[in-house]
Amino acid sequence: MGNNETILRNRNNFKNEWKPFLKNLFIHHNYIFSLILLLLIGRFASDQFLSPASLMNLVKSSVFIGIIALGMTLVIISGNIDLSVGSILGLTAAIGVVIFNSTGSIFLTLIGCSFIGGFLGFINGLFVGLAKVAAFIVTLATMTAYRSITIQFGGGGPLIVENDSYFDVLRPIGYGKIFTIPYLVLFFILLTLIMWFVMNKTKFGRYVYAVGSNEKAARLTGIKVEIVKIAIFSITGLLTGLAAFLYITRFGSVDVATAGKSFELDVIAAVAIGGTSMAGGRGFIQGTFFGAVVLYAIDAILSAFLVPAFVNDLIKGILILGAVLLQKALDRTPED
Amino acid sequence: MPALFINLLQRENSMLLEMKNISKSFGAVKAVQNVSLSVDKVEIHGLLGENGAGKSTLMNVLGGILRQDSGEILIDGVEHNHLTPIKSGHLGIRFIHQELNLINDLKVFENLFLNNEMTRGGLYLNKKEMIRKSYEIFEKMNLDIDPLAYVRELDTSRKQLIEIAKALLFECRLIIMDEPTTALTNEEIESLFDIMRGLKAEGISCIYISHKMPELFSICDRYTVLRDGKFISSGNFSDINEQQATEMLVGRSMADDVVEKNDCIIDEDVFQVEDLTCEGFFNNINFSLKKGEIVAVTGLFGDGRGELSECLFGARKMTSGKIILKDNELNTRSIINVIRSGVSMVPRNRKERSILKDLSIKDNLSMSYFTSKQISPLISNRVENKRYEINRKTTNIKAGDPDDLITSLSGGNQQKVVFSRWFGLDSDVYILDNPTQGIDVGAKFEIYQLITKLAEQGKSVLVFSSEFPEIHKIADRCLVMYKGEINKEFSRNDLNEVDVMYYATGSNKKGEVHGK
Repeated sequence: MGNNETILRNRNNFKNEWKPFLKNLFIHHNYIFSLILLLLIGRFASDQFLSPASLMNLVKSSVFIGIIALGMTLVIISGNIDLSVGSILGLTAAIGVVIFNSTGSIFLTLIGCSFIGGFLGFINGLFVGLAKVAAFIVTLATMTAYRSITIQFGGGGPLIVENDSYFDVLRPIGYGKIFTIPYLVLFFILLTLIMWFVMNKTKFGRYVYAVGSNEKAARLTGIKVEIVKIAIFSITGLLTGLAAFLYITRFGSVDVATAGKSFELDVIAAVAIGGTSMAGGRGFIQGTFFGAVVLYAIDAILSAFLVPAFVNDLIKGILILGAVLLQKALDRTPED
Repeated sequence: MPALFINLLQRENSMLLEMKNISKSFGAVKAVQNVSLSVDKVEIHGLLGENGAGKSTLMNVLGGILRQDSGEILIDGVEHNHLTPIKSGHLGIRFIHQELNLINDLKVFENLFLNNEMTRGGLYLNKKEMIRKSYEIFEKMNLDIDPLAYVRELDTSRKQLIEIAKALLFECRLIIMDEPTTALTNEEIESLFDIMRGLKAEGISCIYISHKMPELFSICDRYTVLRDGKFISSGNFSDINEQQATEMLVGRSMADDVVEKNDCIIDEDVFQVEDLTCEGFFNNINFSLKKGEIVAVTGLFGDGRGELSECLFGARKMTSGKIILKDNELNTRSIINVIRSGVSMVPRNRKERSILKDLSIKDNLSMSYFTSKQISPLISNRVENKRYEINRKTTNIKAGDPDDLITSLSGGNQQKVVFSRWFGLDSDVYILDNPTQGIDVGAKFEIYQLITKLAEQGKSVLVFSSEFPEIHKIADRCLVMYKGEINKEFSRNDLNEVDVMYYATGSNKKGEVHGK
């Protein structure tokens, strides 16, 4: 009898406490399930897939896309889009190489990259926020414009880090690690934590959600919608600048025509997989972190299964669509 | 007698349209109950009723947009109980909606023939013919609109006339006009009436929906009055006067529940509006608010009331005039500046203008505190929960977890959250635009108590409302607007619905409009 009661109580416990929790997890954070599923699939392809080293590699490869995606999450939550991030990365990295070559200072390079990235994003923000042009158009235009400047700037060829101190100061950042955790991954995690804090613990974070949720209502509560939009695009630019800095440390050169090219697509995909609503108003920074990892897990699995490269993108596209459709099916808000 | 003959005989003697005992519910809300309406051949029939009286529902049933739950529709004595928009079009019923259904990026003639395009061989558009027909119809209506102009270049009244032209373009027998004159100038109204009389001479009938008494009396033959979804009466306009018509329209007994309010008005002007004008919406508005006073502003659709409320809050640019708040001119350049100066606003249309649907209850509540009062950029969960708890008690919000989405609450509770959003700011002036829109009776009463409480705390309250019972319950004074001007001011003691309607419909300006 006592045993039965315990079972019953456990069952009720499950019903009352775990079920809503799991349901919420599944509805809002299903990227976690996608990730687990993908990792299990990967396990079939290779015994080594789930080894710590291989998992760490997965996160490491998603760092560049992931850091930019943190900013893109804000952009998309606010109901906008930024197509120019790939070009911002290219231009910022190109300028960053020149700064490093002429100064040899890692600190100045970092500051320069942040500032230039932020400034390029700020320009996007001005057009979207003040001039009220659709973000899609503004960033489509700056995407081509920034890329063109980059190519002019580099004279068409690659810009290579030539300063002698590269191996002493820059390269250790791109390749170094503390206790098996690469600096790049630490950087990514740190930025994720900061952005999580911004979005969850500050007034600004609430404004971003409010603007994406109902711009008219947000304005009527006294939110300066224009300023919020400018800030969002500037932050995305800044994060892209930081990604550009890491890009230099990792690769030591920037091909002006291709660096960061079509990054925007992977970035948006990572945000979408991470559960951020493409209609704005809802989304999670932590989701984007996992979204970026999932994106690269797909890549890793496809190559583990020796899928030819040209089919790669097709399968990726289908999986992204599937992820977003799943969210749409699960996340039904009542239409009152 | 052969059946065909009987049928013909019936056709000869029957009304053009008979709607018998029509009922239609939306969920628990009975929009119309057992309403009957008949329109004779060759008549202009006035359909009267306040907002929410069921006029639009009834007309949507006739237009085939809604299906009635019960009741019969006879056209020429023949039953047509299952109307669809297409079927109703085939029967010669044209519906001119109140809101414009034109596509701005198409030309006038393209809009006229939208979905009814004339073609050569079924594919190639016969533009020449469409343009020729468009000219023809405008000539008939005595209008100088260029069919080749883009609709976006025309002003609202012209667009309204195009809607009417669209209805006249094809064979029709009965035209439904839902408040067609709200955007029209007096001359345009006059020429619309000429068109209607011309149509009548051609044997085309009309159902004319309006609250404007002078217009109804000058153009309509018979009337049907609806109130609260029920049929009230029907007859000839020649047998009644405007006073009687307004009484039928209003009818209901006065408030049952009384909202207690202590006399708390202090003779000190807190908020003064001087010669405020916003071109196209309202002109030269002057009034002032005393400390502890509740002033209601009312009127009918198209009176510029909504735009006035936006101007006062800095949400819409004024053309000229000024607002004085406690002896200082209010700078309305930005909303946040207005809020910080001490003016709060609960906007109309909660879903569209107040609710941040993806945010939690407590975030919705705290938002304007964040923007105007809180200096620190960081949010403290503890402080936010405390703020929620205080407000939950004062406004009696019924909610579970403050972290739940705002959309999980009922309409009334959502509105209480929106009210709470502004209460904490301790403003001097509260502008409430349609504060009880779409909430149930119980919650309405609670909102009235909150408004009264505000006044008793020495706040000045300006309530924009279209519901008289509400105004009667809470207002110390009432300003009645008509076509962008304050037409009349009532003090609490003189306030009665019939008089308010009289001025809201512009009946006192009858001479200025037009005679029959």
